[in-house]
Amino acid sequence: MDTHDPRSHNRWVFGLLLWFSLGMSGCGLIYDAVQHVAPVSSDELGAICRRQTVRIGMAAEPFRPFVFPAIWTDEGARVTGLDVELGRAIIEALSQHCGKPITPNLHLVRFRDLFSLLNEGQLDLFISAVAANVPSPTRAGFAYSIPYFYNGGISGITSRTETAELVRANLRAQVTSPPPDGLVANERALAGLTIAVQEWTAAHLYAEANLKTSRLVLCDSLPAAFESADAATAPAIDVILGAEPVLEFMVARVRKDWRLLTLDTGKPLFLTRGHYAVVMAEESYRLRWFVNNVLFKLDEAGKLAEIRRRWLEESYAFPRRAATEGLPLDVAKMVAHYDQGKCRVAPAR
Amino acid sequence: MKNARVAVTAMFLMFVAIPFILPTPSWAVDRAEAEETARLLAKLLKAGRLVIEQNQLLIDDQHKGNKGFTPEVFEQQLVQEFRQQTGIDLAKIQSTPASISLPSLAKELLPAFVLASKEVVRDAQVVINQRGIGYKNFIPATYGSQAAARFSKQSRVRLKQTTLEPRNPKNEPDDYEASVLKWLSGRPRAEAYVSELTDQGQTLRVVMPIYYVPACLTCHGEPKGDLDISGYPKEGHRDGDLAGAITVTAPLSLR
Repeated sequence: MDTHDPRSHNRWVFGLLLWFSLGMSGCGLIYDAVQHVAPVSSDELGAICRRQTVRIGMAAEPFRPFVFPAIWTDEGARVTGLDVELGRAIIEALSQHCGKPITPNLHLVRFRDLFSLLNEGQLDLFISAVAANVPSPTRAGFAYSIPYFYNGGISGITSRTETAELVRANLRAQVTSPPPDGLVANERALAGLTIAVQEWTAAHLYAEANLKTSRLVLCDSLPAAFESADAATAPAIDVILGAEPVLEFMVARVRKDWRLLTLDTGKPLFLTRGHYAVVMAEESYRLRWFVNNVLFKLDEAGKLAEIRRRWLEESYAFPRRAATEGLPLDVAKMVAHYDQGKCRVAPAR
Repeated sequence: MKNARVAVTAMFLMFVAIPFILPTPSWAVDRAEAEETARLLAKLLKAGRLVIEQNQLLIDDQHKGNKGFTPEVFEQQLVQEFRQQTGIDLAKIQSTPASISLPSLAKELLPAFVLASKEVVRDAQVVINQRGIGYKNFIPATYGSQAAARFSKQSRVRLKQTTLEPRNPKNEPDDYEASVLKWLSGRPRAEAYVSELTDQGQTLRVVMPIYYVPACLTCHGEPKGDLDISGYPKEGHRDGDLAGAITVTAPLSLR
C-alpha cells in the first residue's frame, strides 16, 4: 500500500524556492562571498603539466637583443634572444615541477596581438621586453611577474647631429628655478619634432599621453621606422622613441648611422624608466607565483645578470646562437609572411 | 692534370673496381643498384643546394616580402637542374626510357627526396618571406641538413652532409667518413665519388665530395678567423678546396 508523506512534499517545495532565490537577483553577492572564502582557481599550472606544453607568446617584430628575427637553422626555423633564454629557463623549471618534459608551443605573433591572445586564453604567458609599469587603459587586466630587467625605459635616437643638439639645448633651457616637472621637461625637449614609435608599445603610449606638442608617426615595427626615416618621405622623422636597451643595441651594432639622444653629461636621455616582466593573465595566480619564483631564483644565483651580460655586452652573431640554443617556433602560429609594415601619421590629439 | 687523373684512377681502383674483381657474392646486383641510387641521391642533394645558391639573393632580399620562392617553384628548378646534370627527368621518372638505366630503388627514393626537400622549403616560407630581414640563414648547407635529415627519417637509406670541420656538430664525420675526407683533401678536385662496402659487406657507403666555389667563400674564405655573417669564424678556404661531402649509407638488405 502506497503512503504519502506531506512533509516530503514540503521539503521539495522549500528546496525549489531556495534554488530560485539563489538564482535571482543578489546571487552575485553569494558567489562573491563563496569566492572570498575559497577563491576560484583555474590551476593553470596543473593544466600546463597535464598537456605537457606551455604556450609562450613572443613578438614577431624584432626587439633585439630581447627577441631576434626568426631565422632558419640546421634544425628548422628558430628564434633566439634574451627573452628566449628566459623562456627556456621557465620551461626547464616547469619540466622539473611537473616531473615530465614540458615542450614550448611558441606563438610568434605581432606585438599588439600578444595582449589579445593572452586575453582569449590562447597563451599561458608572453615575453617581449614588456614594461610592467605602463599606466594605460590598454594594459588593464594583465598581470606581470617580478621584473627580469631593471634598466629599461623609454629613450630616443636620431640620425641628425642638429636634432641631438636641439634636444640638448631644449633641456638646458629648462634649468630654471623652480624646475618644471619631468613630464613637462620631456615634452619641451622634444617640442615640434616628428617622432616615430612602434604602435602599442610603451613608447607609443607614453608619447600619446605626454608629448602633445610633437607630431607622432605610428609604425608597425622599429625596422619600419628606420625604413620610413631612410626613405625621407614627408613628414621626415626626427626621432625614433623606443625601449632604451633595444635602441642602444641597434645604434651600436646594426644602425651605426643613428645615435642615442643624450644629456649634456653624455648619459642617455631617459623619458621614463621601465622594468621588463613576463606578462600573464590576471587570474593566473599559481603560474604567477611560479614564474616569480623562477625569476627570483635566477636573480639570486646571479644567472639573470649573466643572461643580461651575454645578450647586451658580448660580441656574437644571433644566427649561431639561434642554431645552438634557439626555440623552435610553431610555424602555424607565426604570422604568415611577416612584414615589417609601414608608418603613418597619427591622428591629431 | 696528370696527377688528377692518377688520383681519380686510384680512387676508382681502391673503392669501386676492386670490390667487383673479388669473388662476386649473391648481393652483387643489389649493390650495383644501391650504388647507382646512392650516386643519384647525392647528385640530387647537390642540385638542391645549387638551386638554393642560385636563389640566395632573392631569399635575402630585405625589401621584398613574399618572394614567390614556393615549394613548387623550388621543385621545378630542382627537376630542371637534375635533368641538366644527369639527363633524368624526375617529372617522368616512372616512364624513364630504357636507354637510361634507372634502378627501381632510385625510382622510389628520388621522388621521396624531392618531397622531403619541398617540405623544408614549405616550412622555411615564414622565414624566407620576412620583409625587412636580410640574411635569414636559409643557405645551401642549412637546406641540405634539413632535407637530408627528413629524407633519412622516412627511409632506410641515410643521407648526410659532412666535413672535417663541421659548424654543426650533427655533421661530424664518423670514422669512415673522416678517413675518406682526409684522403680526398690531399688530392686535387675531381668529379669522382668513393664507394665501398662496410659491415662485412652489409652496408654500402658512398661519399661524393663537394668543393668550394666563389659564392661559398663569403662565409668560408679569408680572412681566416674573422666572424662571418652568421657568427662562425671563417675557415680561410679558397676556390676549389674540398668543402666536405655528401654521404649515403645504404644497407644492402633494403628489400
